[in-house]
Amino acid sequence: MDISDNLKTLARKSAGTGLLLIVVAAVTLEATSLIQYLSSQRMLKQEASLRAESELRATRNQIMDVVDQAEAAVHNSIWIARWCLDYPDSLAVVSRRIVEENPSVMGSTIALVPGYNPKLPLFSPYVCRTADGNLELKSLATEEYNYPAQEWFTEPLNYGFGYWSEPYIDEGGGEVLMTTYSVPVVDNDGHVAAVLTADVSLDWLTELVGSVRVYPNAFSVLISREGKIMVSPVEELNMQQNIREVGKSAKDTANFNQLADGMLSGKAGNVSLKQSRRERMFVFYAPVEKTGWSMAIAIPDSEIYGEIRRMSMLVTILMLVGLGMLILILRSAAKNQLKVSALKEKKDRMENELRIGHNIQMSMIPKIFPAFPDRKDIDMYASIVPAKEVGGDLYDFYIRDEKLFFCIGDVSGKGVPASLVMAVTRSLFRMVSAHEKSPQRIVTLMNESMSDMNENEMFVTFFCGVLDMVSGHLRYCNAGHNPPLIYTDKIQFLPAKPNLPLGIMPGMSFAEQEMDLNYDDALYLYTDGLSEAENLSHEQFGEDRMVSVLKTCKNKNAKDNLEVMHKAVSDFVGEADPSDDLTMLFIHYLNDMQPDETERHLILHNDIQQIPQLAEFIETIADEIKLDQGMAMSLNLALEEAVTNVILYAYPEGSDGLVDIEAVMSKDKLKFIISDSGQAFDPTAAPEADVTLGVEDRPIGGLGIYLVRNIMDTVSYARADGKNVLTLTKKL
Amino acid sequence: MEVIINKEDSLTTVRLIGRLDTPASQDVAQNFEPLMSDAAGTIVLDCSEMSYISSSGLRIFLSLRKAAASQGGKVIVKSISDDIRQVFMMTGFLNLFEIQ
Repeated sequence: MDISDNLKTLARKSAGTGLLLIVVAAVTLEATSLIQYLSSQRMLKQEASLRAESELRATRNQIMDVVDQAEAAVHNSIWIARWCLDYPDSLAVVSRRIVEENPSVMGSTIALVPGYNPKLPLFSPYVCRTADGNLELKSLATEEYNYPAQEWFTEPLNYGFGYWSEPYIDEGGGEVLMTTYSVPVVDNDGHVAAVLTADVSLDWLTELVGSVRVYPNAFSVLISREGKIMVSPVEELNMQQNIREVGKSAKDTANFNQLADGMLSGKAGNVSLKQSRRERMFVFYAPVEKTGWSMAIAIPDSEIYGEIRRMSMLVTILMLVGLGMLILILRSAAKNQLKVSALKEKKDRMENELRIGHNIQMSMIPKIFPAFPDRKDIDMYASIVPAKEVGGDLYDFYIRDEKLFFCIGDVSGKGVPASLVMAVTRSLFRMVSAHEKSPQRIVTLMNESMSDMNENEMFVTFFCGVLDMVSGHLRYCNAGHNPPLIYTDKIQFLPAKPNLPLGIMPGMSFAEQEMDLNYDDALYLYTDGLSEAENLSHEQFGEDRMVSVLKTCKNKNAKDNLEVMHKAVSDFVGEADPSDDLTMLFIHYLNDMQPDETERHLILHNDIQQIPQLAEFIETIADEIKLDQGMAMSLNLALEEAVTNVILYAYPEGSDGLVDIEAVMSKDKLKFIISDSGQAFDPTAAPEADVTLGVEDRPIGGLGIYLVRNIMDTVSYARADGKNVLTLTKKL
Repeated sequence: MEVIINKEDSLTTVRLIGRLDTPASQDVAQNFEPLMSDAAGTIVLDCSEMSYISSSGLRIFLSLRKAAASQGGKVIVKSISDDIRQVFMMTGFLNLFEIQ
């Protein structure tokens, strides 16, 4: 649980790291973008400003060209006008010359100051260009017009120098925008005599100023000294509205007033005007000298920053897309990590459970060896090697009422399902065998239980045995399992009827078999994980190989035999994966103290005449254990030969000694222990007699020990406690 | 053990009655002394009533067989029981004697 918590925390942490990464990336991108945007904006504003100012300058220069031209035309004519003052009729000629020579001058007059020429209180011959290009002479000295009251007349006189009038629409001369430059003309005496004017058409101004477009949507405005709007894109305003009036309805009054003030005071500068909630425009303005005009160029911010805004929009979109992708990637990474963590957690948990399962399985079977350290009559060893974490093989054994109950089994299939059936089988074995001592009954009852609840069609091959530890009598019942090996003086398969495995169907009958185990006999039980173990070439280990491996083991020690087999099978399998669980059980029966054996004792003097007592001794034994006459005679012969040897050779001639003969009888074995206190004499050391020799070559003696060896199964000599002990055994 | 020796010309018949064990062999060896020195003829060892023989008995049989062989006589072992035949087989005596 700690592990899973840690994993979750780790996953959360990595998700948190992802979020942090996104935030940092976003902030960095935004900051970079913002800095870039601001710096670009500043640069663009500078650029716009430069362009506007340059345009203003250029336009102003063009205006000034005309203005200068007009002024020059006027100024250059002043001296003539002054000269002509005394000849009023020639004044029109001066005006005519001005108009003729200056295409921008539409009309010109020299208006006498009233009272200068007493003869002519009002005199103002006016030469103007007609629509068809001809010149026309008019007189402005009319009562309706009253030129001395006109601005173009009064202002130059007031100021005493050239004056550009407020622009006006020339109603008489083709409804064109005009302005008039007028200068006072002083006579040679220093009296102000007249006002010389030149009417300058401003039609070109509309075109000129209107054509000033530093940006596609920028526009220019020209205002007069008084603030009258001379040129603007809005026709209705031109020559109709004053900038002050326009300012009243402007959205951004404060800035607009600032603009108006700046323009009207003849300064240059710029103002940012708010146009709408989102849009501002940048207005650059500069004065047009001499005329008192002021020109402004208005550029909407969107024009100046349009490109960068589009760019930054693109950058922002790209950035958002990038961030989005980053978020998606991180989210999916975090999800994957969570998924991986979850999977790993699941896998760990499963592995852990399997490990626990393995431990539980292993704890269900006896695993501590030697299994019965207090017993000398049994030597057992068992091992189980599951192919996976948990397996379907089982073995079990225990001793109850001096009977060894043991079993080995193999559940069909592998893995967890098999392991569950294995656990059930082992538990059933313990339960059933607690009350039954017949393997056939145990197997039958187990089969009933397992068939009843077997819904998954799993079965168990099973071998069950009950060994009477006292008599060595073995009863066993095989349920479809591989027949065990019985290891006596040779190795062979235990005759075992196959029967059906457990769990196939209820009501089955199982045959019980029996046999007797002798001292030093062994049973070797195994599962097909051994016999069918495969190497990389898919060859099977096989039963022949099993038998020959067992033969290589020098003794019947249970542990040694299993270790030899394990090594052999592991060498054989090599790199190949274990295909099946491998289970072995080795039971080495070592009980030679059979309680139903009887002992007979005979003590003889070292006198050859006592030999016939052996015959009686053997007869008694033969009666007791029902030996046939031939066997009795053979045993008599062997015993006589052995005892004769002692009488003849162990004791020096003439000395008195005893020969102790002990016969240990069981129903299948007879053992003679012949001991004496004579000098050390080992009859088994005598050379083997050659019974194939002919009459001449045949030695007379040496047949005695030869007969003993041939009749008995084992002959062993020992010298212990000053005694010769010769042990003869004969299996019956 | 009772030994009855019946000599008719060159044919000597020896009846061995009882157990020819080690102590008996000592007596039988004495009974066989005359046979050993006069073994040129045919000696028939009638074992029909002999129930047992030990290696010492076999030694007497072999000694007699050797004496006969050296004197040009022969020894016939007659009517041995199956059990004794086993002993003869075990010791290779079946090849040394003519068994009837």
